[in-house]
Amino acid sequence: MLNKLAIGGIKHRIRDYSVLFSGLMIAAAIFYMFMSLAMNKDFLNSNSPAAATVFIFGFGAVLLAIITVVYINYANKFLLSMRQKEYGMFMMLGAKSSKISKMIFVETFIIGAIASVIGIILGIFATGFVGQLLMKNLDMPVKYFSSFYMPALITTLIFFIVIFIFSALRNSISLRMTKVLTLLNKDSQPTRIKRNTVWTVFQAIIGLIFIGIGYAAMIHMGSNPIFIYIGVPVALVTIVIGTYFVMNSLTTTIISALKKNGKFSQKGLNNFTLSQLNFRIKDYTKILSMVSIMFSLALGAITVGLGFYQQIDTVVNGQKYYDSQIININSKEKALVDKMSGASTNRYDYKTTDKTVYYRQSDFKSQPFTYSHFNMDSMFSTQKKSTSLNNDEVKYEIQSSMLPKNQTKEIKAVSDQEYNNIQGKANSITYVKTDSFRKNLTPIKQVSEEQQSRFPSMKNAIADKYVVYKNINGFFSGLEFMGFFLGIAFLAMLASCLMFKILSGAAGDVKRYNMLHKIGARQKALRASINKEIAVLFAVPATLGIVHVLVGLQMFKALLMKPYSNLALPFIIFFVLYGGYYFLTRHLYKKIVLK
Amino acid sequence: MQNIVDVKNIEKIYGKANEKQFKALSDVNFEVQPGEFVGIMGASGSGKTTLLNILSTLDTPTRGQVKIAGEDITQLKNNEMADFRANQIGFIFQDFNLLENLTAYENIALPLALQNRSNKEIKPAVARISEKLGLTEILNHYPTELSGGQKQRVAAARALVHQPKIIFGDEPTGALDSKSARALMDTMTKINQEDNVSILLVTHDPFSASFCDRILFIKDGEIGQELKNESHSRGEFYQEILDSLGTFAE
Ligand SMILES: Nc1ncnc2c1ncn2[C@@H]1O[C@H](COP(=O)(O)OP(=O)(O)OP(=O)(O)O)[C@@H](O)[C@H]1O
Ligand SMILES: [Mg+2]
Repeated sequence: MLNKLAIGGIKHRIRDYSVLFSGLMIAAAIFYMFMSLAMNKDFLNSNSPAAATVFIFGFGAVLLAIITVVYINYANKFLLSMRQKEYGMFMMLGAKSSKISKMIFVETFIIGAIASVIGIILGIFATGFVGQLLMKNLDMPVKYFSSFYMPALITTLIFFIVIFIFSALRNSISLRMTKVLTLLNKDSQPTRIKRNTVWTVFQAIIGLIFIGIGYAAMIHMGSNPIFIYIGVPVALVTIVIGTYFVMNSLTTTIISALKKNGKFSQKGLNNFTLSQLNFRIKDYTKILSMVSIMFSLALGAITVGLGFYQQIDTVVNGQKYYDSQIININSKEKALVDKMSGASTNRYDYKTTDKTVYYRQSDFKSQPFTYSHFNMDSMFSTQKKSTSLNNDEVKYEIQSSMLPKNQTKEIKAVSDQEYNNIQGKANSITYVKTDSFRKNLTPIKQVSEEQQSRFPSMKNAIADKYVVYKNINGFFSGLEFMGFFLGIAFLAMLASCLMFKILSGAAGDVKRYNMLHKIGARQKALRASINKEIAVLFAVPATLGIVHVLVGLQMFKALLMKPYSNLALPFIIFFVLYGGYYFLTRHLYKKIVLK
Repeated sequence: MQNIVDVKNIEKIYGKANEKQFKALSDVNFEVQPGEFVGIMGASGSGKTTLLNILSTLDTPTRGQVKIAGEDITQLKNNEMADFRANQIGFIFQDFNLLENLTAYENIALPLALQNRSNKEIKPAVARISEKLGLTEILNHYPTELSGGQKQRVAAARALVHQPKIIFGDEPTGALDSKSARALMDTMTKINQEDNVSILLVTHDPFSASFCDRILFIKDGEIGQELKNESHSRGEFYQEILDSLGTFAE
């Protein structure tokens, strides 16, 4: 009988349950996605130059596990918030509490188990999809990447089953412990803002000091990479604590200040909105701090990843000035060069003997050779022109672009007369410079391949710019790929956490909005109030998180040439995803709260 | 003088055309004059809340016309309904319906804030009504810190602060002990007489009903009987109500 009633209850709230269910599925999917990378050592080692990668991913896995636990805790509270009144009712009518707690145990566990299994399947597809997307769109060759990875699957499954056994136990125990009366009137009690100014100011100062220490550590790491093993934990701990205190003191201060301002607060539903924010502020401080920390980690991961990735062109262009080089150009290659936009060519004749390669001095006079000069101090390369071969850097550049068999020979520039007298086969090399290497990648690649098939010995040499590009691209792609994965997984997780935190309060809000409706608040005003409330809850951690990221990028000063030059793309990606969660949350919230 | 409430031939049928239908009100007619204190009594399920919801624009009748202060409220659009409630009507509910995250002051100020009145207007208005209802001392308390009677007086203050033309109460004394109930009814009477506000009160309780000028008895969705207090004492009227209930119930 009771079972039937309980199932009836679920049917009745099918929409709320589908929110819960899809949330849990997403959590399992994300966890699997992350694990499929983090546990795949072949993938990590072959795609990342840094020995620290395995460490970073291990660290990321622990963080994600913690967030997942917190997340499921919130989702679980959401479940309980839907059910406790009903179960309280059954108990009041005389159902045994052991029976009720058994029911909630079974319910929690079944929901969790089904969501995990479906979530993992979803995760396999999502991993494949995101992987393909990144590889194709960003031209990222990634090795040993596979969307189906058994160890990750098993780990995810075990991890979730264990969490759900605990959640189910918790739910059943908490139902058994609470009095029927509390269950029936479970609407949370208001927390009065105790405006203890001294304590608030103290918190703000302590918070700022902690954040300051964390920031100093991160900036220090930027110039002293060795410091990283102490610096990262120190920064993490201090910034977490600092964020909590700042969040706690700042939000309450701002809310009370706004409430005190009668002009603002007594306008429309403003006061109500402020009070809503105020109502659960103690609850929210924790999650907002956590979200802002996670937010900065995720955003940081994507920014740094992209930073590495976008560095590719800079690095490639710094290594070689000419976009393409062609030995003894033929008509097919000529046609390809004609396809390149803004192409200008330099053609130098040469003859080879056993020990020497001869060039015409006059060729260099009429077509000055441009080379990259790398400045070790500034870490930037500058372009210089030379009209002769009497320059080690020019010699090196030219030598390295020749066929391997000629690379060990001496090179010499001679007058036309001398050149004509030299016995040996006449060859030529053509250097091509276009207006953009990236834009002309396709014909440049074709030329490179054509050359390699005509001169097989070039296959193992790093002769032209395209080969340099291919190597560097492979190297950085791995980093970027990981950055993206880490970032998206974290973002999705933390935004869902915030979503559930907000949604689990929705059930208790129904009455309030209903009352406002009765005393004549327009639907539009109610919607606006909800939008504002949720916008604040999303914006506060985002703002603090962004500041953390901007300072945190200082850590990568030595690794990235310009850590701040590529902020736009990651921030856009981020806001689209985060904004998506904001709109989803307020939509679901309104569906629960308004009729 | 124009009637404050004018109800003509209203009918309410619950359930859509293809579902099981239930007629909660059939052919209800009555009017309330300005400054009148009218009670509605009837057995559980007789349609009292349904009627009140229709009068307060929370629900629409299936047929018929409802005029409040001369305005046909059945023709209003959603936003107009909300504005109408915010401007013309005051509510007092059985379960107080205070927002527990606002102080008493803020709860009372809410209807004015909804009308976007300036803070300068709000302050004196709240002060005036609070004083009248004896709430001045507790304005900074949250609802959880108030007794049931105090909560209901705060709710009454909220219903009155914007000086509505009429106040609707759905068993406002239902959750109160007899002493608090009496205090609330005294307050309502005082407001009714001093400010000339019309009141329409749904109640089960004959004692509360005895404060009214006139009582409508409703049975199975129809008004079956009417009882006027012809200026004799409340005690006598109370007795009359009990008698009517006795006969009416049979
Ligand atoms: N939304 C609804 N859908 C269908 N039937 C309804 C609905 N609301 C009320 N009813 C029915 O209409 C009838 C009148 O209900 P109403 O709530 O008006 O009674 P009431 O007189 O207020 O009773 P009480 O004194 O118990 O509050 C009842 O039989 C009820 O079952
Ligand atoms: Mg009723």
